[in-house]
Amino acid sequence: MDLSIALNQCLSGLTRAGILFMLASGLTLIFGVARVINFAHGSLYMLAVYLSYTFLRLFGPGGVGFWLSLGAVAASLALIGGALETGLIRRVYGRDPLQQLLLTFALVYIIGDVVKFVWGITPKSVSRPPFLEGGIPVPGGSFPVYNVFVIALAAAVGAGLWLMLARSRLGWLIRAVAADIEITDALGVNVPRLLTLVFMLGGLLVGVGGAAAAPLTAGALGMDVEIVILCFIVVIIGGAGSLLGAAVAALLVGLLESFGILLLPQFAVVFIYALMAGVMIVRPWGLFGVPGRS
Amino acid sequence: MKRGLLSRVRVLGLGVLLLAGGLLAGGPGRGLRDAEAASQPIKIGLLYGITGFAAIYTKPAIHGHELAQAEINAAGGVLGRPIQYVLRDDKSSPEVAVRMANELLLREKVDFLTGTLASSVSLAVSEVARKNKALFLVTIGKTEALTSDKGHRYAFRVASNTLIEGRQFAELEKGTPATRYYTIANDYEYGRKMIEAFVDHLKKVKPRAQIVGQAWPKLGETEYTPYITAIQAAKPDVVMNLVYGDMFIAFAKQAKPYGFFEKTRVITGAEVVSTEMAAPLGKDMPEGILGNSYDLFYWPDTPEHKQFVKAYLDKTGESFVPGWAIQGYIGTYFLAEAIKKAGTTDTEKVIDALEGLTIKTPIGPITMRPYDHQANRGQVFGVTTHSADHPFAILKDVRYIPADGFWRDVEEIKALRGAK
Repeated sequence: MDLSIALNQCLSGLTRAGILFMLASGLTLIFGVARVINFAHGSLYMLAVYLSYTFLRLFGPGGVGFWLSLGAVAASLALIGGALETGLIRRVYGRDPLQQLLLTFALVYIIGDVVKFVWGITPKSVSRPPFLEGGIPVPGGSFPVYNVFVIALAAAVGAGLWLMLARSRLGWLIRAVAADIEITDALGVNVPRLLTLVFMLGGLLVGVGGAAAAPLTAGALGMDVEIVILCFIVVIIGGAGSLLGAAVAALLVGLLESFGILLLPQFAVVFIYALMAGVMIVRPWGLFGVPGRS
Repeated sequence: MKRGLLSRVRVLGLGVLLLAGGLLAGGPGRGLRDAEAASQPIKIGLLYGITGFAAIYTKPAIHGHELAQAEINAAGGVLGRPIQYVLRDDKSSPEVAVRMANELLLREKVDFLTGTLASSVSLAVSEVARKNKALFLVTIGKTEALTSDKGHRYAFRVASNTLIEGRQFAELEKGTPATRYYTIANDYEYGRKMIEAFVDHLKKVKPRAQIVGQAWPKLGETEYTPYITAIQAAKPDVVMNLVYGDMFIAFAKQAKPYGFFEKTRVITGAEVVSTEMAAPLGKDMPEGILGNSYDLFYWPDTPEHKQFVKAYLDKTGESFVPGWAIQGYIGTYFLAEAIKKAGTTDTEKVIDALEGLTIKTPIGPITMRPYDHQANRGQVFGVTTHSADHPFAILKDVRYIPADGFWRDVEEIKALRGAK
């Protein structure tokens, strides 16, 4: 395999990693702070893609419409995340994890039916905005401009998240709740409001990821289950609650998928599951996770 | 002691009531029941994946069934009895389909079974039909095995099949200068069987042809970029694609900026170019790709076809007839005509009537081959082009390629079935 093919596979793997990171970061954050396993995370991604379809039709397919739609989808998902937390999820904090699983699993079915009811059964497709069409010449051909955008967006989201968590007061409070929720509460911090904020942040991240992914995929029934499995694999490999873990794991999974398909197409999927199994055996709390937390 | 006696009396009383109720519910005398039977509907079990990814195809198929049903019932029904469809969702899962098929046969007591889209589901239900000696008419499922090595007396098909489809595409390559072929299909029964048929026949009609690579993304895959770059790296002349539905939407959009459809000639099966697929893709549907469909609402220009289109649009209020509607329509008419010819709903007699039966359809006459129960169902082929008249791509250079000459010879099927 020559260098240009390797480069292309690398770039396509990075694109995939970018989307996976944006989605998994929300999932891992919610688990790290609220200790909730949110099975409905994939359903939120599905909502984001379908909402992109609706907002893009509203705002128009041009450059301005694209950014407006992205913002609208992110805001909508943030609101939905917050609403889910205050309305439903906070009732199962600290309860038997099976109850949490059941609740979020039920949400998968409910959201799935809502999507079918609102948007119907035909797949929904959106196009790239004109200013992100075309390819950048690279050795061996060209690489899509839009994919470069996705990689850059994911990097920006990652950097923004890290800055927020490391440097801002909100980030400091979130980390405090993640570290020890009881002491943080005893110190007078409004923990319930913080938990709602974390779910809103998770929703925002899924919204951005979904809106970015929409021009590369189709809104279709059944996509929620597909993606949630991959998100969980990334979170397990990276370590539940670790942002760095989510980034590294997303990179590993994305690149593994890309090169796997090129080198051993029959086993491309197996590689990822093998990696997850390996991590679970050797380091069950994930590459960057904290032992005892899962 | 007293309590025990009372409870025993109660039980006895209940038993008497139930018995009496049963007799009453059994109905009035025999003579009246026979007269009622004449206007009793003919119940046909209808199995499709109504939820999930198959919905985009099964919904129009169901409309097709309903349109035919309405037409037949308005004209007096079959043997004076109306057709009644009993619909069940098989969730495109063989396990669920088997359960539903059994429920339809044993509890709903349907006279016949029809439908199924996924090849694996069609095969599973075919087994149920065989065990229960019930007639099963497949409208969409394409795996050739259903009517060849796994075929039997009770399974029929009005769809095309994987062998016909694969061979038709290979045959179309006969006169072309291309030598390097790459195939990409989802890794399951339909994908594997069709590509196998394509490659086998290609090597016969074009010995110089080389298969430079084969991609097998998993069913449901929506991430195709690594496949796209791998395919381009192999520098094929032609790509035979079988990725369909929303998977094709993702594939087409991801491939576009790589100039995929300009750099290689793409031929695609799985009815990817039919209108239900072209509509969501809009301007993202690649131009110049050769594909097939069961029906096009704008072709052919015959009176029967125009009448079918008008009736469908009037009934559903939709803006175009999806390619799959006709399969439900044709399936219904095949069953209805067979029952009429047999003069009864007795399964064995209807099977005998169905074998060799020719019916008129909106796209011309179609015949059910007697030995293997495969109808000579060809498909329309055409090349995608964007048109000012429609908000989606349509086909140009349209022609109908029949199944005759492409389906497996009866002698071969006899040998396959005999070998078991």
